[in-house]
Amino acid sequence: MSPEKPQLQVSELPKEIERFNIHYRIQHVILFTTFILVALTGWALKYPEVEYSSRWIRIWGGPETAGLIHRIAGITMLLDFLYHLIYLAYRFYKGERSFDILPTPKDLKDFYQNIKYFLGVSREKPKFGRFTYSQKFDYWAVFWGILIIGSSGLALAFPTKAALLIPSWATNWAWELFSIMHSDEALLAIVFIFFWHFYNEHLKPDVFPMSWVWITGKISTKDLKERHPAEFERLFPDASIKKKEE
Amino acid sequence: MKGPFSFIILIVLIVILFLSGQVYGESLSCLICHGTSEGKIFIDGEKFAKSVHGTLDCTSCHLKYIDTPHRSADKEIDKATLDMSSSLKLKSKTDPVALSACNQCHPDVFEKVKGSVHGQNIFIKKKSDGAFCTDCHRSPHYILPGKSGQSPVDFGHVMETCGGCHEKESISKDYGFSPKVLERYKESFHGKKYILGHKRVPVCTTCHGSHAVKSSKDTQAMLFGKNRIKLCGSCHSGANTKFVSAITHKPMGRDNPIPYYAEKGLIILTISVIAGCVLHVLLEAYSIIRDYIRKGRIEEDESREASVTGE
Repeated sequence: MSPEKPQLQVSELPKEIERFNIHYRIQHVILFTTFILVALTGWALKYPEVEYSSRWIRIWGGPETAGLIHRIAGITMLLDFLYHLIYLAYRFYKGERSFDILPTPKDLKDFYQNIKYFLGVSREKPKFGRFTYSQKFDYWAVFWGILIIGSSGLALAFPTKAALLIPSWATNWAWELFSIMHSDEALLAIVFIFFWHFYNEHLKPDVFPMSWVWITGKISTKDLKERHPAEFERLFPDASIKKKEE
Repeated sequence: MKGPFSFIILIVLIVILFLSGQVYGESLSCLICHGTSEGKIFIDGEKFAKSVHGTLDCTSCHLKYIDTPHRSADKEIDKATLDMSSSLKLKSKTDPVALSACNQCHPDVFEKVKGSVHGQNIFIKKKSDGAFCTDCHRSPHYILPGKSGQSPVDFGHVMETCGGCHEKESISKDYGFSPKVLERYKESFHGKKYILGHKRVPVCTTCHGSHAVKSSKDTQAMLFGKNRIKLCGSCHSGANTKFVSAITHKPMGRDNPIPYYAEKGLIILTISVIAGCVLHVLLEAYSIIRDYIRKGRIEEDESREASVTGE
């Protein structure tokens, strides 16, 4: 027997729905452009003693130019972050309140279920909502990263200004801490993006070569049903009820 | 090499020296022997001619010969130089007078060095350690202009030159400084940029001074107490006491627990996040491949079923 195929009234369903509006898409494009720039120009500072680092920096026009690009890109990223926060606040104020991105206990359950599915212990995939726990992890990792790397980066780029804000009892360790926060967190962020984000949004057979939602903002209802079934049910309760009745 | 061949070389050399046009009379006659001999007494005439001292006569500095086959030059040695040479016997065993002779043209520099932590060690503590002219500038015969890019004390080389002594375990033990300062510098904000080829970062001498270098415990040192605010402020306008504590050259150890453990924590975080992600990705990839194979089997079964019922 073939697995039961849901009989949908296709005509009733839209072909696709908007997942990210234009603001989120712009924020994402600015984010990844500046991220790539800061990662490339900052990388050499992590391992300056390696000969390739100096050569690499020469490609960027030498340490001074690379530093300037790094700072401009970094500040742009922070402004982008600010844009995101202000936009969220604006939506909240307007009453379009969505808390889908917040982690919930369901994420832990989904995670547990997903591992069971991976291992073959269970045949049932977790019923993800609008954002899967992987996507929430992706989002909050970047959020945390921007706070840590952004704040330490500002302090390192404008040290005399930062000195005015540092309490005097912290001066013996604050500078070391900034430098560690900035460089170690940056390494974490880069490797994380390469493993997590690239796998989930580019390499996974479902989405390869990439999930186009970043540019179209749309997801087909078919994909939505497959990848975010709980969200699908929430949006189209009728289609889901019909399925249950059959 | 004996016989006519070496004679020809000698002639050729003399001609070259004449053509280079900078070595004159007296120096040339010295170079006839010293330019062709081997060992410590060898002087490379061509390099000498290109050096900043190329126009000087040998006897401008070699005022007096000790224990050699030469007749002493008939020059009067001034008292200051003579006095200094007696203090410099430990620094130059062969010709302390020649070393003191730098004073004749560079008295202002000499004053600075005498008051420096290096000079004090030589003149007051009477030790053989403590950098003197030739320790940093190398042989006075080949001193190159700062712009040549090959001077041992220029921006690109001064670190190595200071490191020659300051990375030595033996000296650091005797004088109580860390042999790791250069390593720490290379890990610092300034050092990393320096290694990558930044041209506007401070090197050793920028903050510690060169000829007049003082111990960091000396109240006159550029980086002692409040002086440091002015020092850092020369590049970072608006520097204050909280700012100037950023550069210490101290190793990051347990004595400064917050950055030490923050780094350890971040390393653990990085490793665990990466390990978790990789594991998750691998597991998921495994399940996708498994499902793909399983789906293939189901389809196969279906088509077989269909073909059976179809018959």
